[in-house]
Amino acid sequence: MKSFEYTVKDEMGIHARPAGILVKQLASVKSSVKIEVKAKDKSADAKRLMAVMKMAVKQGDTVTVTVEGEDEDTAAPQIEQFFKENF
Amino acid sequence: MGFFSKLFKSEDESMILASPVSGTTVAISEVPDPTFAEEILGKGLAIRPSGDVVCSPCDGTVDLMFDTGHAVNLISDSGIEILIHIGLETVGLKGKHFKTLKESGDKVKKGDPLIEFERQAIADEGYNTIIPVVICNSDSYSKIVPITGKDVVTGDRILSVGK
Repeated sequence: MKSFEYTVKDEMGIHARPAGILVKQLASVKSSVKIEVKAKDKSADAKRLMAVMKMAVKQGDTVTVTVEGEDEDTAAPQIEQFFKENF
Repeated sequence: MGFFSKLFKSEDESMILASPVSGTTVAISEVPDPTFAEEILGKGLAIRPSGDVVCSPCDGTVDLMFDTGHAVNLISDSGIEILIHIGLETVGLKGKHFKTLKESGDKVKKGDPLIEFERQAIADEGYNTIIPVVICNSDSYSKIVPITGKDVVTGDRILSVGK
């Protein structure tokens, strides 16, 4: 299991379009990916579009992303990089 | 639904979406926003609206009413996950010109008003008011058939899905 924390900088947070881009990005990842906002006691399967949108992640929220599965060692750093570049 | 009604019913109403708004239906590929046109959010279609109220396309539940009022997620009673997005880039309006009439968690019937929007005011601010309607769990269906290029009123059939 690999995990990282990231504080969202995008002014609009993770709304519909960013959620779609994230889910598409994760489609090629074999591991399960969980996204959590611990401060708000919310979590979702990051590969499920509606679930990610429902998280309604806002600017300033710290998300914890947990990657678990056969490709976690390669996938986790890529996903972390994706968060940094997009959110 | 009984055995005979199932047997003789040519199609399942629960697998059909009604138009949430009056207007003209267009192919999703015609939406000038790659997130929708490339089906990143799912398959579906879009409506160039002539009306100012978005209504529920089916019986179901409001899974998420965006607090900015520019979009709503619904789950139909049959499990279809639907995103209705009012205009493009309209998240930037931060709620201005939108009035939400339902909340997350509300049960709704087909045709129930969900969001009022000031179509002209949104257009006047430079936003495209096209309304993409997409199926977020498109992968759950073997076929998604939109009816495009048609003038519709709220409640007209615009799309069907098949397992």
